[in-house]
Amino acid sequence: MREVSFGQYYPSRSFVHRLDPRTKILFLIVYIAAIFTADTFWALGACALVFLAVVIFSGVPLTSLLKSVKGVLFLLLFTAVLNLFFYAGDEGAQPLFQWGIIEIWEGGVIFTAFLIVRLMLLVLGSAVLTLTTTPVSLTDGIESLLTPLKWVKFPVHELALIMSIALRFIPILTDETSRIMNAQKARGADFETGGLFKRVKAVVPVLIPLLISAFRRADELGDAMDARCYSGSKVRTKYKKLSFGWRDILAWLVGAALLAGVILLRIYLPAVL
Amino acid sequence: MQAIRFENVRFSYDASDAQTSAAEDFSSVGRFALDGVDFSVEEGEFVAVLGHNGSGKSTLARLTNGLLSPTEGKITVFDMDAADSKNLFEIRKSVGIVFQNPDNQTVASIVEDDVAFGPENIGLEREEIGARIAFALGAVGMEEFRHATPSRLSGGQKQRIAIAGVLALKPRIIILDEATAMLDPRGRKEVMEVVQRLNREENITVLFITHFPEEAMLADRAIVMHEGKIVMQGKPFEVLCEEEKLKKYSLSLPAPIKLCRALKKGGLEIEDTLSPQALAENIASATVRAGQVDENFIPARSLPLITDDQSGAVLARGVRYIYNERSPFETHALNGVDLEIKSGEFFGIIGYTGSGKSTFVQHLNALIKLPTAEKKYRPKKRKKGEAELPETVLKVAGYDLTDKNTDFKSVRKSVGMVFQYPEYQLFAETVFADVAFGLKNFSDTPLTEAETAAAVKEALETVGLDYERVKDRSPFELSGGQKRRVAIAGVIVTKPRILVLDEPAAGLDPLGKTEIMKLLHRIHGDWCKTVIVVSHDMDEIAENCTRAAIFSGGKVLAAGTPKQLFGNDAITAQAGLDIPYTAKVSLELLKRGIAIDSDYTRAEFTRGVLRAAKARGAKEGEADA
Repeated sequence: MREVSFGQYYPSRSFVHRLDPRTKILFLIVYIAAIFTADTFWALGACALVFLAVVIFSGVPLTSLLKSVKGVLFLLLFTAVLNLFFYAGDEGAQPLFQWGIIEIWEGGVIFTAFLIVRLMLLVLGSAVLTLTTTPVSLTDGIESLLTPLKWVKFPVHELALIMSIALRFIPILTDETSRIMNAQKARGADFETGGLFKRVKAVVPVLIPLLISAFRRADELGDAMDARCYSGSKVRTKYKKLSFGWRDILAWLVGAALLAGVILLRIYLPAVL
Repeated sequence: MQAIRFENVRFSYDASDAQTSAAEDFSSVGRFALDGVDFSVEEGEFVAVLGHNGSGKSTLARLTNGLLSPTEGKITVFDMDAADSKNLFEIRKSVGIVFQNPDNQTVASIVEDDVAFGPENIGLEREEIGARIAFALGAVGMEEFRHATPSRLSGGQKQRIAIAGVLALKPRIIILDEATAMLDPRGRKEVMEVVQRLNREENITVLFITHFPEEAMLADRAIVMHEGKIVMQGKPFEVLCEEEKLKKYSLSLPAPIKLCRALKKGGLEIEDTLSPQALAENIASATVRAGQVDENFIPARSLPLITDDQSGAVLARGVRYIYNERSPFETHALNGVDLEIKSGEFFGIIGYTGSGKSTFVQHLNALIKLPTAEKKYRPKKRKKGEAELPETVLKVAGYDLTDKNTDFKSVRKSVGMVFQYPEYQLFAETVFADVAFGLKNFSDTPLTEAETAAAVKEALETVGLDYERVKDRSPFELSGGQKRRVAIAGVIVTKPRILVLDEPAAGLDPLGKTEIMKLLHRIHGDWCKTVIVVSHDMDEIAENCTRAAIFSGGKVLAAGTPKQLFGNDAITAQAGLDIPYTAKVSLELLKRGIAIDSDYTRAEFTRGVLRAAKARGAKEGEADA
């Protein structure tokens, strides 16, 4: 199914979409730092406010955003609820609820609520990055941010090329997988029923042709790259240059204000925990 | 100035450190892939290289730009020694290669980034790279796709991007290594036009390796290779008219020349020609003497038995399909397909990528199920004001595919499906195990070893392979054509009543194509009542099918016999398709007042032309008397 774009990119030309990928990556880092610095509901509220603003300026519908983290959300709620039961209890206070060995404390409820809000903001915030940035520009951004590592002989360029080729071949190999699966289904292969062992065995007729094809493709791609004068990074230049615009400056200011605000709140307000 | 010069070059994959190339047949191991090649190409020349698989064509290409180095002899490219590693960079800059598979030569997910790859590698400045991208994309006519994603382009467009990627290095020689083999006729035409223009306008030397004689005709010179040697050389037209020699080198005459020869055999004085206009003119002006023309050497066409029996029939009414419903990527692939195929037909399905033909074909064996056939299907309430869709009908091989209670495993057993490039789905350790895979999956009770062996043997022999010789070999050691046969055997082994094949001849040379079509006729009738072939090749459809359907925009635009579909080019033009060669000549003849009654197979067309000539000869004879 070649029409499905992989990853979660949501096509649009919104404010957030047009930010430089480096800005978005750095902003996410600052945002995560702010969430972990926050130790009051007030501070978390500030983070949530910034998050909401970003969502509004990204043009991504809230439903798409929630759908994109559906899987993680379940895991998150599960851990949070466990916390509710394992809260050790406060001294000099009565549990809110008691049944057998299960005790629920007021502190536990607050702690759990805090944890849920914190993790939700974390997961949803990261999702906004992948929803608004194409994998290609994400790769460009990462490569650019890692450039200083070249000084310690870290193969930044090779890493970026590997990532870019991987991205390029994902749709091709997805296509190929579904084609091979269909071909084997047409020959009576059954991927949907049976126990674990049977299912693992059923994958073999798909995996082997897929591996062979991937190696063949790699081989041919290698030749095509050689033929186009690829010889490592020595003389290589780069055509695409990322550049910051007024949107990026605005984003940096918001990021800086958020981090500063959260630090101030941490100093002047007592912690919840 | 000489662009390329080979002096007594020999090359063996064993002797070099390079691994055996995937492009070469395994049988080439242990001998010279090139065995004493001497030739040169002048700057600005357009040279076509022909030869069947394993003849050394690809090796020639790889040696020229230093991907391989010769075991013996000397190769010079613009006075540079290709074996000298000091020159490697310069040689690769001046010699660009475009390979066969368009998917396997792009490195980036955005067109301009991919075209930039070469210039980046040689360390050009940003501004210069930008200029090179503009130049290269302009030269192949793809400027508007600068920011597109290669995986969403058509085969022909992808290949033009690959050419642009090579052009951005400003090469003086471009080698196309079977670069059109995997494309549909439209894509092939696109690429050929680009290459001819580059040769003419940019004075780029072209070495064009191909299977298609029609393409070789466009070159200044044709070279035929056989077992690592150059065996024929000369003007393409002259080279490609030498029937005896071509046969010796496992090549065949271009189809139009075959037609001329058949007419000559029937007694018409016809010169060999390629263009339909010239042929029509020749036929119209040929003098006919009474008693000279005779069409009886053409065997009568045996038509398949078509019956009303349901077990090999397909009936579709209002079949719709939407990919990724209710998402930004929603696509309406089928918009109400109506089609009837009778038991016993050899049916053709024609249409370009995106016409819905592949989606429809996958409905036939329930790889794609209709919504009503899904287990969890509940009838939806219609919203107010929403138009009621006509009821969907899909009956295949006697099964109702709209019903969720249908036994879909039996459907898949009754409807065999051979996908495009089926050799890529082989997986087992031996040919035997691979062919037996479907047999085991579909049998309700475990088969005895003798039963399995008998069925596998029959299937392998039907596809023309020697059971004893291949059964224990790994399918991956076989040649391309043999692999395809094994894959087809793996589908027909369960004796499906309907066999569907998606582009069964794709990527094969003309001889391989004819053989695969012969094979399908052998299977048709004895093994499978009905054969359905998806194809881009109008000549193939006219030559083989009883009826065909043209798909366009997720619907059947027209269905009928080749005679009905190709009688005028209005229908095919609407779907952006070509018409068969014989139909083109018929139209040209009609313009000259000669009506030919034929079904557009080459044999029947020849018979029609000869009959018309005979009638004319008789009339002229009377007038003389």
